[in-house]
Amino acid sequence: MARRPLTGVRIIDFTNAVAGPIATFILADLGAEVIKVEEPSSRPLHAAGTAPLQAGAEDLSYNRVMIFNELNHGKRGISLNVATERGREVFLKLVAVSDAVVDNFAPRVMPNLKLDYAHLKQVKADIISVSMPAFGLSGQYRERVSYGPGVDAMSGLSHLTGYSDGPPMKPGNFFCDQNAGILSAYATMAALRWRNRTGEGQHIEMPMIDGEFQILGDAYIDFSMNGRQRHRTGNDHPWMAPHNVYPALEDDSWVAIAVETDAQWAALCEVIGQPELASDARFGGAPQRWDNRKEADGIISAFTRGRTHIETERLCQAAGVPAAAVLNAKELLSDEHVRAREGLQYVDVPAVGPTPYPRIAFRMSGTPVPISKAAPKFAEDNDYVYRELLGLSSETIRSLQEDQIITSEPVAPGGRRKGH
Amino acid sequence: MTPPLDGALGGVRVLELADGVSGPYCGKLLAGMGADVLKVESPSGDPSRREGPFPGDLPDPEKSGLYLHLNTGKRSVTLDLEREGGRTLFRLILLQQQIDILLLGHREEQLAALGLSIESLQREHPELIIVDITLFGLTGPKRGWLGGELVAYAASGYMSLTGAAAREPIKAYGSLVEYQAGAQAALGAMAGLFARDFTGEGQLVDVAKSEAGTFLLGGVEQLAYFQDAVIRRNGTRLLGFAPQHSYPSTIRPCRDGYVHCHSNNRHLDLLGVLIPDPRLLEPEVLGAMMGHADEIDEIMDLWLADKDRRDIVAAAQELRLPFTEVMEPGEVMADAHHRERGSFVSVEHPGAGPIVQPGAPFRMSASPWQTRPAPMLGQDNASVLEGLGHLPDDLARLRAQEVI
Repeated sequence: MARRPLTGVRIIDFTNAVAGPIATFILADLGAEVIKVEEPSSRPLHAAGTAPLQAGAEDLSYNRVMIFNELNHGKRGISLNVATERGREVFLKLVAVSDAVVDNFAPRVMPNLKLDYAHLKQVKADIISVSMPAFGLSGQYRERVSYGPGVDAMSGLSHLTGYSDGPPMKPGNFFCDQNAGILSAYATMAALRWRNRTGEGQHIEMPMIDGEFQILGDAYIDFSMNGRQRHRTGNDHPWMAPHNVYPALEDDSWVAIAVETDAQWAALCEVIGQPELASDARFGGAPQRWDNRKEADGIISAFTRGRTHIETERLCQAAGVPAAAVLNAKELLSDEHVRAREGLQYVDVPAVGPTPYPRIAFRMSGTPVPISKAAPKFAEDNDYVYRELLGLSSETIRSLQEDQIITSEPVAPGGRRKGH
Repeated sequence: MTPPLDGALGGVRVLELADGVSGPYCGKLLAGMGADVLKVESPSGDPSRREGPFPGDLPDPEKSGLYLHLNTGKRSVTLDLEREGGRTLFRLILLQQQIDILLLGHREEQLAALGLSIESLQREHPELIIVDITLFGLTGPKRGWLGGELVAYAASGYMSLTGAAAREPIKAYGSLVEYQAGAQAALGAMAGLFARDFTGEGQLVDVAKSEAGTFLLGGVEQLAYFQDAVIRRNGTRLLGFAPQHSYPSTIRPCRDGYVHCHSNNRHLDLLGVLIPDPRLLEPEVLGAMMGHADEIDEIMDLWLADKDRRDIVAAAQELRLPFTEVMEPGEVMADAHHRERGSFVSVEHPGAGPIVQPGAPFRMSASPWQTRPAPMLGQDNASVLEGLGHLPDDLARLRAQEVI
């Protein structure tokens, strides 16, 4: 494989759920060797959410869990019960030959396992330790449990998202997980540069909620400047209008149009066959258009209802009006632009076949970083890591297997007592 | 003039020719790690200087909250790139100031209008890392399309997942996709530095805002592919969950506002411990919680109606049920947890005075994040031009010619 920006860097991925795996798959895409350490009972075993089995393939459903495979693409994988003393010793051997360890447990877990930064640096003085707690390692909420959408609630994002006359909502499916994952990968790379310059490792604390504060900067500053609590406003923009989605011909099909300038408004009036509206006093300038936006929305909708969302977006863009069809995921899969840029890349998943995953949102001209491989099958790299990398003897490995510290298959949760 | 030597990116020099949200946010992330970020603004300034919020709602280009948030830690030079004189100075900065990263937010034709092209920049500056953030990227059939947050949000697929099933799709608050594009651009810039360490060469990092939105789909693209189905927005519930999946993950009203309610995915029966309704412990419900979501909402609403957020969340968290309060921005800032941790900081901006705003997005023990003030418009004109060998009387001439 061609050399990538982080080729030669080794990262231990000791994460689960969503945000942590995103941080480490980004580092894997950028070229790091990421070794996912899975507790034998941590992989989801239920059949729900699995991709269909490829004809003739061996059926191990735990290797077909869709979200797990997406979030762990590009990585190697080993099984290890770190909550046992011997498992912990093996983990520390791996730390000694690695550059960074990423975890996203609740704050008490790593210290309980004696695997927090203070312990890790005893075996690797310049190790980089990355923790991704939901609310931080200190403060009254440190022990709170939450998934991504619960963090959106506590940051203010949910309050600010939704219809002006409706309840708070969350954006899309998840948001704060991706946000924290990207920032964690960025901070890890910064720490690697610092270490390369100074020889010094460090600890990184990436609270999911602190990452989200950045996204809402103007709302907080409005409060600190003016004491104003901003409220959700649907698709309304503070000053642009028209700025909304408009119904298209087909069922639940919409096109977004955002008019920023008088020239764009005039062009839109041409597109909808009502050029006289360009000089209509109701829509004469941005403030007038904003005040009368409901009226303008009605006029535009009458036009968009008669066409597909794709027809309208093309007509608008050809006329210089910012617009785009609201594409659903199925439409995105066949979208010519997405296909041309491989924004969704098909990765060959064992026992499943080609599977579309969103790529990192940039292309590098000199050192391309497409997704390199599918997620590891459970315990796929045990041999590579335990024999080649750590040089454990066959006898030691057999003994660890006998004690189920290393397993070749996942074990049911609760099948053995876990350390946390 | 001397770049700071502290920070993980100390000594790295960034030239930022980018307005709005995504490019400046990328620059902010680089500056926070110690890079020397020189922001090039037109003589009228980055448009975010006109966005606000402003103290007392009185517009002032030095007091726009959005600008002050997105441009911490940078220097500012004004150059009119519509004029030949401005372009000459821009080229001089690139040639003489050992710029490592050029941060752009321009489509091909926008660069051409400034007399620039990616090809010529790469040819003349082979070691330069060029990060260009555009709506759809620099390749593909939509590369010339126009738009901002709303258009990117719609085209990315993410909007189809946001909003109520029975109403029109909506975008999330603010500029969420623009921010994601900026953060991804910072990753790309950093990756470019690592690559240059062994190639000795720069490269183009072509960032697409639409793809930053698509990155957020969270597995929905796989469901659409394997089920050949449209996954529809569903209010505040998680998407694509089969009936046998866990529930709740949703937002429900209570006496003093709203709470985010979430199941403990390892112990689904804990909801029935928190809310003493025997129905929540019946095998039929526990075995198919998502399939009983409407009924569970009704049971929860009844129990939540006479309770306050704090009490509900305290009782739930005691059981390790991941419930949280839906908070307004001002409540978040006033919260004792964030105050104790210092997550919001007061920054003394030269043109606006002290502003309380988000501080470090993450904390690094050895090379900490730095929140330094945002610059006044053109505050570094004199030092930058003197660095290029222009004498003070040149400055007066350039100012008179409206080049700076």
